[in-house]
Amino acid sequence: MAAFQAAFLNELEKLYKKRKFSVALVISILVIIVGQLVILGVRSGFGLRGVGSLEFPVLVLSIVINTILPLFTALVTIDCFSGEFTRNLMRITLTRPVSRFKIFTAKVAAICSFIVANLLLLFLLSALAGFLFNANSATFASWSRILLAYLVSALPLFVLALLLILLANIIKNSTSVFFASVILFLAMKAAGVLLSQYAGLLMTTHLDWYKLWLADTWPWDKILRQFCLMLGYGIMLFTAGFYLFDKRDY
Amino acid sequence: MINSCKAIEIINLTKLYANGRGINDLSLEINPGEIFGFLGPNGAGKTTAMKAMTGLIKPDRGDVKIFGYSIRDQYELAMSEVGCLIETAESYPFLSAWDNLKLQARYYPKVDTKRIEEVLEITGMLKFKDEKPRRFSLGMKQRLGLAAAILSKPKILILDEPLNGLDVEGMIEMRNLIKSLAENESTTFFISSHLIHDVELTCTRIGVIYDGIILNVDSTQNILQNYATVENYFVSEVERNGRISSSIPQ
Repeated sequence: MAAFQAAFLNELEKLYKKRKFSVALVISILVIIVGQLVILGVRSGFGLRGVGSLEFPVLVLSIVINTILPLFTALVTIDCFSGEFTRNLMRITLTRPVSRFKIFTAKVAAICSFIVANLLLLFLLSALAGFLFNANSATFASWSRILLAYLVSALPLFVLALLLILLANIIKNSTSVFFASVILFLAMKAAGVLLSQYAGLLMTTHLDWYKLWLADTWPWDKILRQFCLMLGYGIMLFTAGFYLFDKRDY
Repeated sequence: MINSCKAIEIINLTKLYANGRGINDLSLEINPGEIFGFLGPNGAGKTTAMKAMTGLIKPDRGDVKIFGYSIRDQYELAMSEVGCLIETAESYPFLSAWDNLKLQARYYPKVDTKRIEEVLEITGMLKFKDEKPRRFSLGMKQRLGLAAAILSKPKILILDEPLNGLDVEGMIEMRNLIKSLAENESTTFFISSHLIHDVELTCTRIGVIYDGIILNVDSTQNILQNYATVENYFVSEVERNGRISSSIPQ
């Protein structure tokens, strides 16, 4: 456990020192500011209400879950794996008394922590903007539900990260992994529209599963089905990713 | 922790690449406190052997035991007493020299900030501790790599071309450091180098590898009784093998 802890702390420190957190913070703030300016513009220009304090964080989530959050996840994941493969930096950790399984798990855990931190940051910023600029109609219960929507959004992003990890272990070059990820993401989005009857199986569709948690009565059957699918994908991708990571020569 | 009288046991180690190069059925035993020099021409399999010894590559067959612990099955235990520098000294370019060592120190509970300072002092890198390795010369990177290798006061040091990029002063310092660690702390060394004169001055036993096969292992003292220099011995061994290989009908 001590070796895993050391590897996990190291991964977090590397992410922090590479300024990934700062970049995520700056872009998140920019997204909130731009979003809020658009809302204010709509309100003053067209006389429309725009959104209330409660709807604003949901609106932000609906945008970022399909744009900057997958993008950040891709950048961090690729950097954690391909970036270290290509610059031979993986050797620094691999020659220490820590197993490859612990290194792999520590990297996955650090990426997951980054995703959760990013979601919480976006929630706090959007909630703050909602409070300050929009009509306040919120209760504690409704805020908790929105916080839950943000937190459950982490799960499909974890699965996406595991898919990217698998790609990073198949393709050698960081840039190629990034472009392959973008193409795959867009292809899954297109497949979700063109083959709508199979959309439920696609990872990109799961990104919107937070909507299920915003319903007045939770649709347990749908929640359970999507959860099981994501869990299944997660287990398979983790296993495949680790298999390649472990088999690799450094 | 230490449970065997042999520091390193290499047992029928085989790793063959698609191009036919690699190591074939390599077996060696290194005693505690020995400074073992691993000599061989380019492409003979020195680095492959060292990578397999440190778990960076998985052998096709065979095993390496470090103080009795298998590198294949008991990696963490086997590597707990090993420090290494393989191929090139890698360090995180976005972290300072100090932070690079701090990250690696996390894997060893006994290593504190005092020890980090100590290894930086030993390797002559203390005055550069706050600088990032991206601005370091090859020699400075090598010194930092060595500092990381000796950080945990390992009982075994596996060094692949440790004199790479070092100036004359650095080479002498390195040679003295190796000798003092072997004498005062009974550290076992497994060193590959193309600088035969340096191997002659530093190593107590020498093994010659050619075309992935160990040709001969002998003590430096014995070698120097039969040959004027280790270089003569090396050339004689390699030529003898070359003649044998070329005389075999294809």
